[in-house]
Amino acid sequence: MNCVVTGGNVKVLAKAIHSLSRIGDELYLEPQEGGLALRSVNSSRSAYACFLFSPLFFSRYTSPCGQAFRCKMSIKCVQAVFRSLSSLEKTVEKCHIELDGDKSRLTFTLHCKHGLLKTHNLSFQDSESLLAVFDKDSCSNVLRAQPRLLVDTVLHFPPALEEVTLSVSGERVWFRNHLEDEPEQSKAMLTELCLSSDEFDHFAIGAQSSITFCLKELRGLLVFAESTGLPISVHFDQPGSPVVLSVTDSVLEVNFVLATLSDDSNLRNHNNNSTKRAQSPPPPDDFMNDDIDSYLIAMETSDLAGPPDAVAPRQQTSSRTPTTQPPVADHRRESEEEEEEEEDTERPPNKKFRSLFFGSVCPNDSQLTNQTMKSQEVLASDSEDDTQSGCP
Amino acid sequence: MKFRAKIIDVGCLNHFTRVVNTISKLTKTCILRLTPDNLYFVLSGKISSGGVSMWCELSQANFFDEYQLEGVAPDANEICLEVTPENLSRALRTVQNAKCVKIKLTKKHCPCLTFAAELPTLSSISRVVTHDIPVDVIPRRLWQDFKEPKMPDFDVGIYLPPLKTMKNVVDRMKNLSNFLVMEANLNGEMNLKIETDLVSVTTHFKDLGNPPWGGDGSQGRSQSRDPELMAHTRVDIRKLQQFLMGQQVNPSKAMCNIVHKRIIHLILLHEDVSLQYFIPAVA
Amino acid sequence: MSLSTQSQMVEDNYVLVASLDNVRNLSNILKAITFKDHAIFNATPNGLKVTVEDSKCLQANAFIQAEIFQEFTIKEESVGFQVNLTVLLDCLTIFGGSTVAGVTTALRMCYNGYGYPLTLFLEEGGVVTVCKINTQEPEEPIDFEFCSTNVTNKVILQSESLKEAFSELDMTSEVLQITMSPSQPYFRLSTFGNSGNAHYDYPKDSDMMELFQCSETQTNRYKMSLLKPSTKALALSCKVSVRTDSRGFLSLQYLVRNDDRQICFVEYYCCPDEEVDEE
Repeated sequence: MNCVVTGGNVKVLAKAIHSLSRIGDELYLEPQEGGLALRSVNSSRSAYACFLFSPLFFSRYTSPCGQAFRCKMSIKCVQAVFRSLSSLEKTVEKCHIELDGDKSRLTFTLHCKHGLLKTHNLSFQDSESLLAVFDKDSCSNVLRAQPRLLVDTVLHFPPALEEVTLSVSGERVWFRNHLEDEPEQSKAMLTELCLSSDEFDHFAIGAQSSITFCLKELRGLLVFAESTGLPISVHFDQPGSPVVLSVTDSVLEVNFVLATLSDDSNLRNHNNNSTKRAQSPPPPDDFMNDDIDSYLIAMETSDLAGPPDAVAPRQQTSSRTPTTQPPVADHRRESEEEEEEEEDTERPPNKKFRSLFFGSVCPNDSQLTNQTMKSQEVLASDSEDDTQSGCP
Repeated sequence: MKFRAKIIDVGCLNHFTRVVNTISKLTKTCILRLTPDNLYFVLSGKISSGGVSMWCELSQANFFDEYQLEGVAPDANEICLEVTPENLSRALRTVQNAKCVKIKLTKKHCPCLTFAAELPTLSSISRVVTHDIPVDVIPRRLWQDFKEPKMPDFDVGIYLPPLKTMKNVVDRMKNLSNFLVMEANLNGEMNLKIETDLVSVTTHFKDLGNPPWGGDGSQGRSQSRDPELMAHTRVDIRKLQQFLMGQQVNPSKAMCNIVHKRIIHLILLHEDVSLQYFIPAVA
Repeated sequence: MSLSTQSQMVEDNYVLVASLDNVRNLSNILKAITFKDHAIFNATPNGLKVTVEDSKCLQANAFIQAEIFQEFTIKEESVGFQVNLTVLLDCLTIFGGSTVAGVTTALRMCYNGYGYPLTLFLEEGGVVTVCKINTQEPEEPIDFEFCSTNVTNKVILQSESLKEAFSELDMTSEVLQITMSPSQPYFRLSTFGNSGNAHYDYPKDSDMMELFQCSETQTNRYKMSLLKPSTKALALSCKVSVRTDSRGFLSLQYLVRNDDRQICFVEYYCCPDEEVDEE
């Protein structure tokens, strides 16, 4: 492979590599006839990203003819080539990428201002192909938004937050932080943001749904989308099946495929954390209109009396299953690449997120039993000794 | 027990945010006392907080457009909560351009202070963000721990120099030593001193002026004092640094009372907010 | 107590008094050589030379000429002492080292000779700080015997272009290899890191190259860890002269302009790494 990137596209390429570095430690590079594919996957295989740059993205592009060639290398090393992201635009005039299969060497040559020439020779390993199993076109829900909207949204969440829950219902979209069930987490702050469908460029909801996925990768994609100003599409179905975040343009296509928490863990989380913050959000305006005394803390009343809608979400949660889209198995059938991933079957799946490549997680009985007990404990602990005695 | 409040004015929102930011730099957790007229952020000098105490008083009318409070009992019309100021600060930071911010005591999975804000958008419908911040309700029997500290019977009271200057000096001294001696007299002079095996450093401030405390009898000791005589206290330099770090705006008045070899009492007045901070002496 | 009356008391027995209207003209240049605590001060009627060394392989010198000071009085041919440089810098910047125009810290520095502390009087906006820093007997700095007659290759570059390279250097590489040659690649910086190698080539006709005098091809390696502190000097400088002698010793000379546009120099000497692979 031999290609040249010039002008502003150097920065686009650099940003793409920085985005990919949010996903995994290795960069998979595959020059194809249809363009250059850069991919990465995280260690638990629950997040995958692919940037496909079409030949038109380059001012020159020659792919190896004949047999397919793939390689992988440490993403940090490629990142180092484009270390000074901020000054890249001003200093780099041309970037030449050359792949020498015989020497197992990938060479980046940056032609910079004042005649300075930077040559980076990186070694690589041959690799298997890396393709995730997803079919974004079959997703029942699609949202498209300007990067700014999502950037402003994630700003509300603390940088250390790992997972975020996205819910859609009617004409509204909710983002809220997802918390683990561990006891110390009950002291964590909960943030919820409600957006109207008007704020999205495209809003097509086939089935009310609520999914939980990692925020880190979304942030990674946002860095890219914001610098290129391209809108982001979010394709998703029911909990447990992957969410696909994509950015496309005439010369590039980006897909981030992230596993979502399967239903049972979602349910568990909601029961434990709050009754109100269940999978189906409360009417959006309830907090903003002034008749919400039912939400005020009223510790003088019985410790079991939650808000009247407290039970409803759980009912909705269980009734949601029939409305879901084709099960994961269908996606698997569509995959041709799956065999190539077999060497990784021994790897235990991530504790919460199913791998994007294999299997599904079934709710298990012991968890369900456990969950019931936990939620009862929570209700009981609502009473505060002092408040009862101190109230009229 | 009910509490709800609302801020519409952007100036008030900024001001309130600054106060909360300041508190969040001073302590990880503190008590928020809500009364019909005032809000208080309180830290009582426990060993766990390094012995420092804090008392910050805000008049609710100066911040809130609406303010409703129903205390735990008619004879105790107050609510006392343990809060994490950093959480309040983070919630406020994300709603700086809000059209309106409501703060409410709510019952979620645990007692929470809920911040709800309406954020402007390009579309006709606002964005709504809510932050549920878990709090602990402090039982009435423990309230006595969080009363306003008494003004100590100090030896010297003095106005502080610009806090920025003081912060620069204390920051460097912190690099050189763990302890600092603060001394002042009734002649408007104040010194900050450190001494180690490698170096001794003294910064001399003069013409600072001494506040005319009077009427409350607490200044009895300083009445007949030699104006040149220094009262001094040795403190943990980090405590003083932390106090100075939290100050984002120069207060209209900044003062310090020194009880010789016992305690330093720092007082900041900024418009309608007062902040008192007590740092105990170390041997 | 004003700055002058306070300093009066110790000035009767001084051997060295130096004053600056703007302490940054001293503190900034000392920052460029701060990589070890111990600094050797040597004052002569020409000015002040401050030396910092690391493991007998690296030496940094800062020169502040007598003319930079508003007052520079020395009662002996040469006055030497050793102080902790980190402590000295904290003292010099006690008021924060403000860069706000019109706000400067004045300095008066006095030394009464062997056994006495170095006394600093600093004043900003009427506030006075007095510092007494313990001194030690100075050690003899290493003589690197770097002599301009033995210089084989020399280039002068605008610092701007080297700053970029140094900020991007692959720190997983143990060495920085410098190639200077009358033919291609002229002036090359190379690293050999975990994942591959990188070369930065500066053509001799680049507009960043102010002088190019290379008589023979020379490739030398220097420990990255030793060269790293020199980036502090690079950051402050506007030009840098890179020289190597016949033994492969490296001299980096940085031209630094202070707040008053006066010129000072900082220089670094570095021994070549012993295990040089022939390339």
